This record gives sequence, C-alpha cells and structure tokens, in this order.
Amino acid sequence: MSVQVEKLTAGYGEEPVLMDVALAVREGCLCGLIGRNGSGKTTLMRCINAILKPLQGRVIVSGKEVNKLSRDKVARLISVVPQGSYSPFPFSSLDMILMGGTARLRSWQSPGDNEKDSAWKVCKDVGITALASTPFNHLSGGQKQLVMLARALYQDAPVMLLDEPNSHLDFCNQHRMMGLVHEIVKSKNKTALITLHDPNLALHYCDEVVMLKEGRVVVSGITEDVINGDYLEMALGENVKRDTTMSGLTVVVPKNVPAQR
Amino acid sequence: MKSLKRHLPWIIFVVALFWSLSLGRYAMGPVEVIKLLAARMGLEHFVGHQSPEMQLVFFNIRLPRILMSIAVGSGISLAGVVFQALFRNPLAAPDILGVTAGGCFGAALSIMLLTHLALGVQGSAFVFAIAAVSIAYVIANHSWDKSSSVLVISGVVVSAVFQAGLSMLMYFAEPYDQLAKIVFWTMGSFHIVSWAQVKTTLPLVVAGSCLLTVFGWRLNIMTQNEEDALSLGVDVNKWRLFYVVVSTLMVASSVAAVGSISWVGLIIPHIARYLVGADHKRLVPATAVLGGTFLLIMDTIARTISASEIPISIVTSIFGAPFLGYLLMSKKGGLSAGERAS
Repeated sequence: MSVQVEKLTAGYGEEPVLMDVALAVREGCLCGLIGRNGSGKTTLMRCINAILKPLQGRVIVSGKEVNKLSRDKVARLISVVPQGSYSPFPFSSLDMILMGGTARLRSWQSPGDNEKDSAWKVCKDVGITALASTPFNHLSGGQKQLVMLARALYQDAPVMLLDEPNSHLDFCNQHRMMGLVHEIVKSKNKTALITLHDPNLALHYCDEVVMLKEGRVVVSGITEDVINGDYLEMALGENVKRDTTMSGLTVVVPKNVPAQR
Repeated sequence: MKSLKRHLPWIIFVVALFWSLSLGRYAMGPVEVIKLLAARMGLEHFVGHQSPEMQLVFFNIRLPRILMSIAVGSGISLAGVVFQALFRNPLAAPDILGVTAGGCFGAALSIMLLTHLALGVQGSAFVFAIAAVSIAYVIANHSWDKSSSVLVISGVVVSAVFQAGLSMLMYFAEPYDQLAKIVFWTMGSFHIVSWAQVKTTLPLVVAGSCLLTVFGWRLNIMTQNEEDALSLGVDVNKWRLFYVVVSTLMVASSVAAVGSISWVGLIIPHIARYLVGADHKRLVPATAVLGGTFLLIMDTIARTISASEIPISIVTSIFGAPFLGYLLMSKKGGLSAGERAS
C-alpha cells in the first residue's frame, strides 16, 4: 500500500475533527475524498502531509511513518496542489514551478540549467509552456492551478495530495484538470488523493472513493460500488441521488430543486 | 538592454563612489583620488608624493565615513528584502520586529543614565536592539499559532513598549545637552564615524551579505504560504529564525553605529525588484549594491549640501518617500506588479 492511514484521531483543540479514520490507497490509484464542508477532508490531508500531528494513530507513506521524517524527506514522498495560491511578489510561473525542486537541492543550492530544462519538460506535459515567463499573479485562477499542478509534478514525489484543486475553476477547466490528473496518475504510476466537492467528478475520474461524514469514514471502495444512493445520502445529505442521462452517463443529481419551471 | 538593466546597479555604484570620494569641504578631483589610493598601496614612486593634510582628510575622515554609509545602506536594505519575504508583505521594513525602537531606547538610556559604563552609546544601542527582537521572538514562540503574522504583532508590541520608554527618557532628559543628543541620534548621522565603528559594523554586514547571497534562493520558498513552504520541504520555523538572526545582527550593528535611518530598507528592495525581478537569487546581491549606493549618495548630500550637517533620515525621507510614491503610480512598479489580479 502506498498510503496507509491507521486509526487516526486528529484535531485542533479539545474536540477531535477526525475520529478513528482508516484508509489505504494502492499505487497507481486516483482516490477521491468526498464529504460536506467541515467533514474533515482537509484535516485528513494535513495529517497525511505531516503538517498536523495526530492525537492517535499513524500515517504510513511508502512504508515510512511520515511524522518521524524531516520536512525535506516528507517532500520527497508527497507533493501538494493547494486550493488556491497567491504570491505577494511578481515571480514568473517558471520560478514558481522551480520551487518544486527544493527538496532535491542542498540548502545553499539554487536551480541551474538542468533543473530549468526538466521544469520546462513538465510545462510541456501540462501544456503551459506559453505561460512559463508570465508573472504568476497575472494568470487566471485556472491557469494558476495548472502551474501549481506542474509544480507538484516537478517535485516528482510518488504521492500527490490535491486539496480541492477545482474550487476556483470553471466547468471546462474542472474537467481539464481532472483529465490531466487522471492521465498523470496512470502514466507515471503515482498515488493521488483528491478532495472534491462535486461527486460527479469523483464518479467520472476516480478509481476509488472515500466518503467522510463528521470526521468518520462512511464508506470506502471502488467508485462504481460506493457512489450509490444510500451512501450518498449518508455522506452528503438527503437531497441527492444517482441517475442516468439519456445518453447513458451515470450522474449524481439533487432529488428536487425548488421552483422548477 | 536587459543586461544593461542588470548591471546598472554596479555601474551607478562605481560612479557614485568616485563622486563621493572627491566631494567635501576639501575638494579633490577623481584623478587625485586615484593618486591617493595608489600612493597608499605603495605606488608612491609612480604617482608622486601626496600632501599630508589631503591624506589625513581622505583616509581618516572621508574614507571610513563612505565605507560606513555603504555598509549601513547594504545592511538595512538586505534586512528589508528579507523581512518583506518572510512576512510576505511588500511594505515590511527592517524595524518591523522592534530593532530600531530597541536601539534608540538603548542609546538614549546610555546618554542619560549609563554614561559611566564601558559599553558606550553604541554598545548599549546594539544590546537593546538585539534584546527587542529576542523578546518579540520569544513572545511569538509562546503563542500556539506559529505563523509569521503573530511574530509581526509581537514586534509591534515590543516596538510600542520601547517607544514609550524612549519618550519617557526624552521627557526627563536635560533639554540642552541630553535631549539634543538623543534627538540627533534618533535621526541618524554619519558625522561621528571613525575607523573604530567601521571595524565593528563592516565585518558583520559583509558576513551577513555573504550568508544571505548563498542562501538567497531559499527566500523564494519563504515567500510562499506557510503550508506550501512546508510541503516543498522547508522547515519554515528553523529557516525563519536563521534569516531573522542574520538580518537583525546587520540592522542592530548599523543602528548602533549611526542611529536610526528611515525609508532605505523599505524602498531599496522595490527598486531592486523592478530592475532584476523577484527571484531572490539575483534580488539579494542587487539589493545590497543598490542599498549601499543609495545611502552613499544620500550621505554625500547630507554632508555637502549645507555648511552644517543634516541628519541622514531627513535626506533619505525627502528623496525616498516621493520615489515610492512614483513607484506606486508607475505601471511597472514593484508594488503593483505583485498584486495585479487577473
């Protein structure tokens, strides 16, 4: 197993946010994390990335307990695509991507021509070579997320954590992002955990799904089996069901919307 | 064109150096400056004998003062660039953690009460400048929130306390002697500089500049959101402490030697960013050169524009503040370029 979470209890104050969470994700698997706001998705991500120390239990990534590793060792195992990014200074997009190589450099080193070449290759893979010299803060939300994805790829860790990478993206860019992530996971045999608001994206792109509710795992398993009416209702609330469109595509839709004309 | 822009700081530096060396109450041309330097380096045989008064003015008064203004300008500008990166704030200045307030309080305390101590005004200023930042750091470290914004707030707290202490000392100071000294000191001046001060400040600034240049690229990571920096593999708390210690030593030794100097640490990083871009690998050396040049020019103005000495902070504010205003208005300015949203 590439990522293994064992009996994890974690939180910020007296009340734990996560209780007794266990999950396992194998190599080459794109795993979606679904749950309502405040269900503990981001907290789980922070525990896996060893930013939050668990109260109980442990997280094992590629056979190593992450809490016992130094930051640069964690960074060689796990890369992160955050929800949104902002830079107070006018870095170019290539500068931002090159930061992904920090863990491979000694503290006094800086990226040279070799690093720039391989960062450029990653830009090609993600299809953003045209943006490389543009100041990061001049990019649109969707372009920024692609740059952050490129940075995580350039970091070249076996495990990727994506924390709601779609939250600032329009409909088409959400699918572009998910398509890219899916392709990367399969072609480079990475392990990816991704938190998603839209169960449809999980349904269409993820191999496995973990559903969280109030800090506990409701169910986890193969996407097809897990995303059904009962589990969806348990995790997301009553107003949700699974349906099939006329063209045969499985979708998750609300049971009823008010004032349908 | 691009390479000219990149080398511009060095070109301006050399021109300003010779300009400043030749200016003063005892004027000498650039040729005489070169002759004096050559004679001192054992080439007297070729350039001829130089007059002793000229040598005295040049080597004992002008040269140490010029070296000091370059060192102080570089030191506080570098601290500015570091604090702007650490606090992710283009408006952060070197005194954000209380180093200036602590230094001024220490100097005033020494002028009024500790006159018999061997530490002297400058020693006392240095000790209190370091103490102020240490207190700010300890307070922030005891908070459950280890983010840099807590450090900024505790810096504000410490600054306020030392400011109040300074005000109290000034209130009780004997107006004609002590108060005048304190006021002149808080506005900063290079007129008292001798080789003794150069020997304590210059090595610290040179060592700090080297360290910051070597570990310059890493400052890029420190400008990222704290969790992002951790995910990239940087132990944020450890490295923040490193950068704060190096910058504080440079600023404290500068403030202790010549008093507080406003604006330089805030505006020079912006001008440097405008010239070489945001990547700290190039930004750090460019800031050091530009900061040294800027304060050298400002001090040359301060000592030559009128018969009596003008406090340096007045000159830096008169030239520095309008320039920042101009940067705010210009489209390519260091401030707006970082904040323009899509």
